[in-house]
Amino acid sequence: MKIAEDLFDDIAVIRLSGKVIGGPELVEVKEAFQSQVNHDRRNVLLDLGGVTWMDSSGLGVIVSGHTTISRAGGTMKILNATKKIHELFIITKLITVFETYTDEKEALESFQA
Amino acid sequence: MATTQLRIPSDHRFLEPAQVLIERIGRIAGVEEDELTSLSIAVMELVKNGMEHGNGLDPEKRVSIAMEALPGRVVVEVEDEGSWVPAEGIGLEPAEGEALMADRGRGILIARNLARWLDFSLSPEGRTRVTLIWPLS
Repeated sequence: MKIAEDLFDDIAVIRLSGKVIGGPELVEVKEAFQSQVNHDRRNVLLDLGGVTWMDSSGLGVIVSGHTTISRAGGTMKILNATKKIHELFIITKLITVFETYTDEKEALESFQA
Repeated sequence: MATTQLRIPSDHRFLEPAQVLIERIGRIAGVEEDELTSLSIAVMELVKNGMEHGNGLDPEKRVSIAMEALPGRVVVEVEDEGSWVPAEGIGLEPAEGEALMADRGRGILIARNLARWLDFSLSPEGRTRVTLIWPLS
């Protein structure tokens, strides 16, 4: 799994890629969310387009990140969830919690609305 | 296809190799290409539960995964070294309210929804065994 970050004004885009399969690497994802709060960035777009495999551990860390950012007064949205990941969001009903986008420009603009 | 069995230590470092092998065995057994990821997600949810709830993440304890192709279906049995069963009703419905935002507790729900049939039991030796049936198209 890899984590990359981009900044667009006050929006942090965290891009995950590879397999999100569990274990210590999930701590790095949690830290990436916490880092945004520490740097006073409260708008976070999580890009899952490069994720090739994910299960409930990945969902758990996303929910944890959502909680971290929400408690700081921010918002986290999801970009490019693959068909399989979208299915997991539906099964677990998390689809009712997250705004999801397939177009990055549209997702970024949504934070200004 | 004869029964294929994997026995992996309860250590997160073995998760990815196990996931890759499950998909390879699934492919040989005849699981459709676009269902292999779902199969491995469902099985790995059970493997992780076995590592954590059954074996307490003790790397000396192993989780056994047996996969057998039968006419029209693949049968997967995941067995750990513990003796536990999930609370009744766990994983049948998604969480509601505050519980929806819990960090954990979605594995069985996901496995139940991806697989067509899932059952927890105890082996004759008293170990937790989960049986998953995956239909073949």
